[in-house]
Amino acid sequence: MQKQITQFVLRKPKLIFFMLLLLTAVTAALIPMIQIDTDPENMLSEDQVSRQFHNQVKARFNLHDMIVVGAVSEHEQGIYNQSSLTALHAITEQVIQITGVIDYDLMSLSTVDNISQVNDEQLSGGGIRFEWLMKEPPVNDKQAAELAAKVARLPLLQNTLVSADQKAASIYVPIADKNESHRIATTIQSIIDDTASDDEYHITGLPVAEDTFGYQMFIQMGISAPLAGLMIFVMLWYFFRNFKFIAAPMIVAMVTVITVMGTMIGMGYTVHIMSSMIAIFLMPIAVVDSVHIMSDFVERYHDDEDRAGVIGRVVADLFKPMLFTSVTSAIGFFSLMLTPIPPVQIFGAFVGGGILLAFILTILFIPAYLIVLKPSSLAGLKQLHHSESALSALIKKLGGLGLAHSKSVLFFFLLTLAISVWGIMKIQINDNPVRWFKADHPIRVADQVLNAHFAGTYDAYLVLEADVKAIEQDFKAVLEAEFVSMPWFEQAKSTYSEANGGLAERLNELLFWAEDQLFAVDEDEAAGLDQLISVIEQTVSDINVFKSPPHLAYVAALQQGLQNSGWVGKSNSLADLVKTVKRELQGGGQDAYQLPQSQSGVAQTLLQYQSSHRPQDLWHFVSQDYTSTVIWVQLASGDNQDMSRVVDYMREFTETNPPPENISVQWAGKAYLNKVWQEQMVAGMGMSLISAFVVVFVMMVVLFRSLLFGLLAMLPLTLTISFIYGLIGWVGKDYDMPIAVLSALTLGLSVDFAIHFLQRARDIHATTNDFQATMVQMFEEPAAAISKNAMVIAIGFTPLLLAPLVPYITVGVFLASIMAVSALVTLVMLPAVLNLLKTWAFRSES
Amino acid sequence: MKHKLFLLGFLLCSTIAVTAAELKVDQIIEKANLASFYAGENGRSDARMIIVDAKGNKQLRQFVIYRQDVVEDGKDNGDQNFLVVFSRPADVRGTVFLVHKKAGSDDDRWLYLPALDLEKRISASDNRTSFVGANFFYEDVSGRHPAADEHQLVSETDQYYVIKSTPKAPAEVEFVSYELNIDKQTFLPMKIAYSNQAGEVYRQVEVVEVAIVQGHPTVMKSKVSDLRSNGYTLLEFRRPSYDVEMADGMFTTRSLRNPPK
Repeated sequence: MQKQITQFVLRKPKLIFFMLLLLTAVTAALIPMIQIDTDPENMLSEDQVSRQFHNQVKARFNLHDMIVVGAVSEHEQGIYNQSSLTALHAITEQVIQITGVIDYDLMSLSTVDNISQVNDEQLSGGGIRFEWLMKEPPVNDKQAAELAAKVARLPLLQNTLVSADQKAASIYVPIADKNESHRIATTIQSIIDDTASDDEYHITGLPVAEDTFGYQMFIQMGISAPLAGLMIFVMLWYFFRNFKFIAAPMIVAMVTVITVMGTMIGMGYTVHIMSSMIAIFLMPIAVVDSVHIMSDFVERYHDDEDRAGVIGRVVADLFKPMLFTSVTSAIGFFSLMLTPIPPVQIFGAFVGGGILLAFILTILFIPAYLIVLKPSSLAGLKQLHHSESALSALIKKLGGLGLAHSKSVLFFFLLTLAISVWGIMKIQINDNPVRWFKADHPIRVADQVLNAHFAGTYDAYLVLEADVKAIEQDFKAVLEAEFVSMPWFEQAKSTYSEANGGLAERLNELLFWAEDQLFAVDEDEAAGLDQLISVIEQTVSDINVFKSPPHLAYVAALQQGLQNSGWVGKSNSLADLVKTVKRELQGGGQDAYQLPQSQSGVAQTLLQYQSSHRPQDLWHFVSQDYTSTVIWVQLASGDNQDMSRVVDYMREFTETNPPPENISVQWAGKAYLNKVWQEQMVAGMGMSLISAFVVVFVMMVVLFRSLLFGLLAMLPLTLTISFIYGLIGWVGKDYDMPIAVLSALTLGLSVDFAIHFLQRARDIHATTNDFQATMVQMFEEPAAAISKNAMVIAIGFTPLLLAPLVPYITVGVFLASIMAVSALVTLVMLPAVLNLLKTWAFRSES
Repeated sequence: MKHKLFLLGFLLCSTIAVTAAELKVDQIIEKANLASFYAGENGRSDARMIIVDAKGNKQLRQFVIYRQDVVEDGKDNGDQNFLVVFSRPADVRGTVFLVHKKAGSDDDRWLYLPALDLEKRISASDNRTSFVGANFFYEDVSGRHPAADEHQLVSETDQYYVIKSTPKAPAEVEFVSYELNIDKQTFLPMKIAYSNQAGEVYRQVEVVEVAIVQGHPTVMKSKVSDLRSNGYTLLEFRRPSYDVEMADGMFTTRSLRNPPK
């Protein structure tokens, strides 16, 4: 079948060119539909439980994405000086005006309320005052210092809007659409630039990080992918010294990349950090098969008489190994689809598909291209001798080492394996999206500076929810039992059951109805209605779980637990809010800073809080039916590891201090979500690594029709992967997203070397029937081809080192080293092991 | 005879219309202020507020509001007393606000919280804070002093005087200006639209329903909308009455702990 295809291609090269052009044009036309996705949330699928809960929590408490603007002052009075606060005030005024900023929720010293004592002579006995905290900037430093005293009394603001060391202030800018954060952040920056201030201003926050990351991703794709193409071009030039000749693999690489990207975008997939690397992955892999065909063609091409015949024989000989190496590489990538992380799945699927496409394109296009080249274009190829390069001499020495000291070499590799496994045990699993930027990037700098001053700019939410089903059932039972004899019973029942909304709202509707009826009925019926109204009111009070002092006390206990964990900078809650207002209501003394004793006390305190300029702030802490409340947890570190520590600590805490009956405690927030997807990825990567290993191993056993050769084929890559991950463990580099992804896919790439080595060794042994002679021949052309391909892939990935974003650099470094190490291990370890096992390995042939 | 009467009626009507048209803007504002907040010598009404947020969540506030114009030495100088007694939600029942509104200076306010058994003077820096979590401000309930703003008649329609008001002390308020649609017949402001620095209307107070009570056109239902957050508050008055008998000392701090039943 393969022969017929090649014959067809050689007969109709122009048809192949036309088809390729058509495919490229159609898919290229889809690329402008590109949609960039930089939301780390999308590391989890949309229906993932934690993600859904996170978004419910955001909606329930009206929590918006926030840009954080921080100002750090070197003034001797810290940030509380007239000039700093005047600048802060002016900047806030302008930021509020930016389209896309949710003005009424913006938090700055000048947009929040203060509640304080007034000892005005007119107010006998003293009173309380609700006022803007800093409606106008202070006119002198003394006034500025007075502001410090006010903020220090407001636990919700202290160390959130102004740092504990009083050197820094912040503005929390809520935005309606996080995709606009880059534009808004840029506008904020220009406002800051136009404001006269000696203070150092920083802009950060996850939405800015994400949006900026997306912007950088574009640059990355625009620079690194063409650079990779250039690197490959230069290398091919070094190998073949013939421009027209090496244009062929470049065309295969380009068509593969355009087709895969176009198809992916056309199918509606967004370009996430993972898929932005597809081009740079496909480029080197796509040329590998072409390099095989062309190397072999160069070896066999002597005169132009039988060009079609040479091409046919070359393709026929290489078809099977190329198919197998392509399929194994593709499997390595396809195995990524087993991880529960959608961007990783898409990446795996399309790179895997791209590898198979590159194989098909190579089989179809390269012969067609070679047949139409003018004889003059191929004339120079005859002088090429690959097996005599400097690289080749080095490789031969390495091979000699493996053969002469087989046992020592094997011992060395086993020792390396042992040390590597030890290193793997030391691996630290950790990630932090802000660290995806280089250390000197403004976002990293801002992150570092602000977290050094404040309690933390990373948010997590600890959410408490009450299960009110029992209360609902009780109410229904009472309604049915006690009021069934009332003439209005049916009407009441339908009013209740037909009302929209939650239990609290349906009860309100029924209450309205009952009140309206009161005036239309006689005394007996009115008495019944009054009784109904009091049952409703009792039920409403029962639902208002987080107005109850014991429940709020538990919230406060959780906060104490968070603080004791040592990993939390600060937490804010409804309990803090209630205590602060109550303290001011009762004279402002610290002894009054406690929860009211009754539920009504809490309700009446909150009614006062709601009489401020920002009543809506209450709903950032508690749901309107008071069945759910959230503790805002501020962490100074966005490391998943630190979030995990807090989560683990609080799990133990809630086990020893269980919540009140029917109350659940759950985590949400971005810092928490990052931890969740990372855990899923670690587990998923283990799964995909194991399955890729098993599938490739089975394929090897089938390909070589030998269990021993199957095992031998797996040896170099096993050692390589262990070595690389062991190194990560020893060096102390965090096992993060890019590193996790590398494991499974390198398996598919590095097995290629072993396939080529073992297949060629077997073929040669079949003719020589002598192990030593086989090895001598192996280190001529086959070893040279293997090292050449290792170089193409390794060097092809090096442009990633120039990337502005850390994950790309990580991928570049590790892929290049994995390729280099695995080629080396193949060429040194396999001869050594074959030498020791030759009696078994080549038994069947001899 | 009939014709003559008709003619007389017509003449009378047109005279009134002409007079109205020639009213100076400050007079219109004065009449509007009187119509809104000074009907009768005193008044009481049950009130129900439903505070609705953008997501449709509802909160309820129910209270009785008492009002009395202060007459000193036989003169009504515009001072008023208000007493607001809450009945719902049940957990704030018995919470009382007492306000002595001074036409010429800052209001005096008191608060009583039964659960904390706490009586407290409140010093409000401004009157544009939320009224118990509603989209209404204190000032919307007790009335903004006409002298606080400069008023300008923008236009007249068949139905309304359209007046634009700008604050004399812009730093004390969150708006840049507001526009009133004052009903020519009742002098009730049927719509007040507040604009921000960008010139956008971000807040709106509308009268939804008016009834004649004891001869006074009375707002029965009004609505304040926050056009930024898309939340709104409905305020319904029930059983309003004017010139009712009120006990002596009803508007003193004694009523805080013992509000009228």
